[in-house]
Amino acid sequence: MYVIGSLGTEEGQHAEGCADCQAKIAKLAGSLAHFRGAVREWSDRAGAQSRAAEPRFGVIPAADHLERLLLPSLETPWYRSLWSGLRDMVDGPALLDVTARPVLVREIWGQYKPRKRSFVMSLAVQATMLGGLVWAFSTNAVQRQVKQVATLILPADVDAYIPKMAPQKQGGGGGGDHSPLPASKGRLPKAALKQFSLPTAVVNNPNPRLTMEPSIIVPPDVALPQVNMAQYGDPLAKIGPPSNGPGSGGGIGSGVGGGVGSGHGGSYGPGDGIGIGGGVFQAGGGVTAPTLLFKVEPEYSEEARKAKFQGTVLLYVEVDPSGRARNIRVVQSMGLGLDEKAIEAVKKWKFAPGKKDGKPVTVAATIEVNFRLL
Amino acid sequence: MERFERAAVARERCTLGENGAGELEDFEALVRLHRPRIFRFLLASLRDRETAENLTQDCFVRAYQARGQFRGGASVATWLMQIAANLLRDHESSGRLRFWRRMLRREADVADLGAAVPDRQQSPEALAAIEEQVRSIWRAAADLPTRQRTVFLLRFVEDMDLLEIAAVTGMKEGTVKTHLFRALQAMRARLEGKK
Repeated sequence: MYVIGSLGTEEGQHAEGCADCQAKIAKLAGSLAHFRGAVREWSDRAGAQSRAAEPRFGVIPAADHLERLLLPSLETPWYRSLWSGLRDMVDGPALLDVTARPVLVREIWGQYKPRKRSFVMSLAVQATMLGGLVWAFSTNAVQRQVKQVATLILPADVDAYIPKMAPQKQGGGGGGDHSPLPASKGRLPKAALKQFSLPTAVVNNPNPRLTMEPSIIVPPDVALPQVNMAQYGDPLAKIGPPSNGPGSGGGIGSGVGGGVGSGHGGSYGPGDGIGIGGGVFQAGGGVTAPTLLFKVEPEYSEEARKAKFQGTVLLYVEVDPSGRARNIRVVQSMGLGLDEKAIEAVKKWKFAPGKKDGKPVTVAATIEVNFRLL
Repeated sequence: MERFERAAVARERCTLGENGAGELEDFEALVRLHRPRIFRFLLASLRDRETAENLTQDCFVRAYQARGQFRGGASVATWLMQIAANLLRDHESSGRLRFWRRMLRREADVADLGAAVPDRQQSPEALAAIEEQVRSIWRAAADLPTRQRTVFLLRFVEDMDLLEIAAVTGMKEGTVKTHLFRALQAMRARLEGKK
C-alpha cells in the first residue's frame, strides 16, 4: 500500500483494521487516480499540440535529426569557446581558407548569339521606314510646299547691316596763306562733294584761264551759315580787310587744308574732315548714348526748400568726348533757383561719352534732374 | 493508450534483455516509444510546455550521445527517466527566474488540469468534485519541494515502483519512501483542509 506511504508495522495493521482509515485511504487513492488521469490527458493534449506545431518531426528520421543536432561545433566545452573568443578578440577572427577558385564564365550579354531572324527583321523594318521618308519628301506636292517656305533670319546685330548715313555735322576745314591778318568775314563758298578750286578771300589771280567756282566739301543737305556778302570769307569772322588767314594749305582761316575755318580739311568749321565741325550727334543710328559714371545730387535752393517746391528740371546737354557736359541749356524750367542748382550739379557729372564707330564723339542728351523733398 | 505503452515498454525490456545494452540502433523507434512518458513527466514537473519540450529534446540528445555508455543494468525507460530527472534537477537549480516562473505558472496552469479530467461520463456533481480534488492535488504538488514532487509524480503518474524510482533519482529506497510519505502527508493535509 504505497498510498499510505512509509508506515510502521503497527500503523499498517491499524489501518487495515480501521474502517475510517480505510475510507481515507480509498479517497486519497481515488483522488490520486483521477490526478493521474488528468495529468496524462493534459500531457497528451500538449504533446499533440507540439507535434502539430512541428510537422517536420515525423518527416525527418530521429536519428538523422540527432546527427544534425550533434555537430561537433555545438558541443564545444565552455573553456574552449572562451579561449577561442579571447583569441578572436586579440587576433581578430580567423580567416577562412578559401578553397573555391575563380572560374571563367562567359559574359552575360555574350551568352546568346545574335539571332539571324531578328536581325533581318530589324533591318527590313528600318529600311522600310527610311525608304518611306525618302519617298514622302521626294513627291511633288511636298517639294512644292517646301519651296514656298522662305526662311527669314533676323541677325542678332542689325547695326552692321544698316547703311551708313552720311556724316553730318562732322569735320571741319581750315586754310589760309600764312597772312598776318585773321580771316575776314564773308560768305561761304557753295557746298560740293568735290573741291576743285580753293576758296580765297584775297584774289591773287584776277583773270584765270579756267574759271571754276570755289567750293567746300560739305554734304548738300547741310545747312550752312549764310552771310549776304559778295566776297568769300569766314562767316563768323569779324569784318576787316580781306585776308585768307594765318592758316596753311590754301582756303580761308586759321586751320590746315583747303576749307574755311580753324579745323583740318576742305570743309568748314573747327572739326576734322568733311562737313561742319563742332557738330553734336544724337544718340541712335550707330551712335551710342553716353552713360552716367559719376553723379552729384543737386542741392535744394533755400527758397524752394521753404516753399516745399518739387518737380523736374529738364536740361539739354552735350556730352563731349572727355565725358563732361557742355553747352547746358534749360529746356524745362522750375524756377526758384532750382535751374541753377541743377546746372551746377550736372556740370560736376562725369559721363562715359557716346561713341560712333568706336570713337568717342559729342552726343546731345536730355537730362531730367528731379527735385524731391523727403 | 496506457496499456499499449506498458506493453511496448515491456517488449522493449525483453529485447534489451535478450540483445544487451548495445542495441539502441533504432533510436527513432525508441524516441517514438518513450517520448510521451518523458514529456509527461517533465510537463507535470515544470508545468510549462515549452520548457518541457526543450528538456525532452535535451534528454534524447544526451541519451543519443551516451548510448554507448548504457550499461543495461536497468531498463531503457528507467535510464531515460533518470536522464530526464537529472535534467529537471539541473534546470530547477540553475533557473535564475525560478521564483517568478513558479508564480506565473501557478496562475496560468492550475485551471487547465481540472478541465483535463478524462472521465466525462459522470454526473456533473461527481465531476465537479473530482475536478476539485485534482486541482487540490495539483496545487499541493506545486508547493512540494523538487525531490518530493519528482518522487510523487514518478510514483503516482508514471506508476513506477520504489526500486525504479530509486534508480531514477539516484536515492536509496528508504529515502524514496520518506519523500513519498511526506508528499502524501502534504496531499492529505491539503485535501482534508479543503473540507
